[in-house]
Amino acid sequence: MRVLVTVGSTRFDALVETALSQPVLSVLSQKGYSDVVVQCGNSRVDELGSTDVERSVHKYGVDVILWRFKPSLDEEYDAADLIIGHAGSGTILDVLRRGKPLIIVPNPTLLDNHQEDMAHAMGVLGYAKISTVNGLSQSIMDLDISKLVPFPPFDGSKFRSLMDQEMGFES
Amino acid sequence: MYPPAWLLVVVALTFGIIARICVIIAFPKDGASRRRDQKGTCHLAVFLGSGGHSSEALTLVSTLDFSRYTPRTYLLSEGDSLSATKAVALERLKAASKQSLDPIGEYQILTIPRARRVHQNLLTIPVTALRSLLASFYYVTLAPRLLGDSSKADVNVILLNGPGTCFVLCVAAYINRFLGLPSPRLVYVETFARVRTLSLTGKLLRPIADKFIVQWPNLLQDGGRGECHGWLV
Repeated sequence: MRVLVTVGSTRFDALVETALSQPVLSVLSQKGYSDVVVQCGNSRVDELGSTDVERSVHKYGVDVILWRFKPSLDEEYDAADLIIGHAGSGTILDVLRRGKPLIIVPNPTLLDNHQEDMAHAMGVLGYAKISTVNGLSQSIMDLDISKLVPFPPFDGSKFRSLMDQEMGFES
Repeated sequence: MYPPAWLLVVVALTFGIIARICVIIAFPKDGASRRRDQKGTCHLAVFLGSGGHSSEALTLVSTLDFSRYTPRTYLLSEGDSLSATKAVALERLKAASKQSLDPIGEYQILTIPRARRVHQNLLTIPVTALRSLLASFYYVTLAPRLLGDSSKADVNVILLNGPGTCFVLCVAAYINRFLGLPSPRLVYVETFARVRTLSLTGKLLRPIADKFIVQWPNLLQDGGRGECHGWLV
C-alpha cells in the first residue's frame, strides 16, 4: 500500500521532516504501507538538494520517493491508499472527492488561520482525521479508515440553477 | 464673504456623484430578461485569481450550460499561465462532451495587471491598482463601445471569487452603472476555504456584488447580506 505526503505549492518543512522520521515511517510500515511518496513543494529537505529532481531512499522498512512538484497530482492521488496533506482547500477537495482517506496537518507557522478553520470543520464533520505535526505517528496509529464519514459527491446542479435564475434562464 | 464659484461647483459635483452612487446601490435595476443579449445568450466573464481561486472558479463554470453562457471571457492576472492552461482544458472538455446541438460558441482569455502583488509595498498599491483599474475599465466599458467584434460585446455577468483584483472589476462595472451604460451582474462566491470568517475581498464585495454567495452558513451569522446554498464546488 502506498502513502502520499503532500504540501502543495507551499513550504512546510516540519511536515516533510516528520514524514521522514523514524516514528512515522515505522508506524506506516507496521500498518502495511510499503511505499511513501513525499511531494515536498518549496520545503527545505536535507535528503533533496536544490538540483535533485527526485530521490529514492529505503528507510525504516519503507521505500520513500521524494520530489518537489508535478504539473498535476491527480495520478498521485489516484495511486495512493492514504494521503497526508497540509490544510489547503484544493488538496482537501481533490482527495476527499476521490473517496481517499486523508490526514490533515495544518501548518502552524501560517499567520492566517483560515486554513486551520477549514481543517477543523472537516475533522468535526468526520470527513478527515486532523493531526498536529508532533502527533502524526499517533494519528496514523489511531486512524480507522472505516470510521471516516463518506464525503458528499460534487453537485453541480446547485450553482447551475443559481446562475440560470440570476440571468433569467428557464431551468 | 461668499465661497469662490469653483468651490461651489466642486461641492455640487461631489454631492451629485455621491448621490448617484447611493441611488445605484440602493435601487438596483432589475429584470432578468434584460441581462442577456438579443440572441438570448449570456456573455460570461470569470476572474481566475490563481491557484485555489482559479480551480474553484473553473469548477463553478464547469456546471454551466455553455450554449447559454456564450461567449466566455476568462480574465486572469499577468503571468498566470497555469490558470490559462486550466481554462483551455475546461473548454476542450466541454467541447468534447457536448450533448446538444446548440453551439457552445467562443471563448477568449484576457489578462489584467495585478491590483496588488503579494508582499507589495503599501505605498505603491495606488499605482498598480490604477493600472489594474484601467485594464478593467477598458474591457468592461470601452471595448464593447469601440470594437464591433461580438466577443468584445458587453459582458452580462462577471463571476468572482477573489482575491484583490476582483474589487477593481467591480469598480469598472460601477463606472458603467454611473454612466448609465449596460453593466454586468456581479456574482461573488466566497471560496470553500472560508469557514468561519470572510476573506478581505469578501468583506469588500459584500455590499456591492449583486449576488453574494458563501459556502458555509457560519459566515452569515452576523445577519449581514448574502446567501448560502451549501457547498458549490
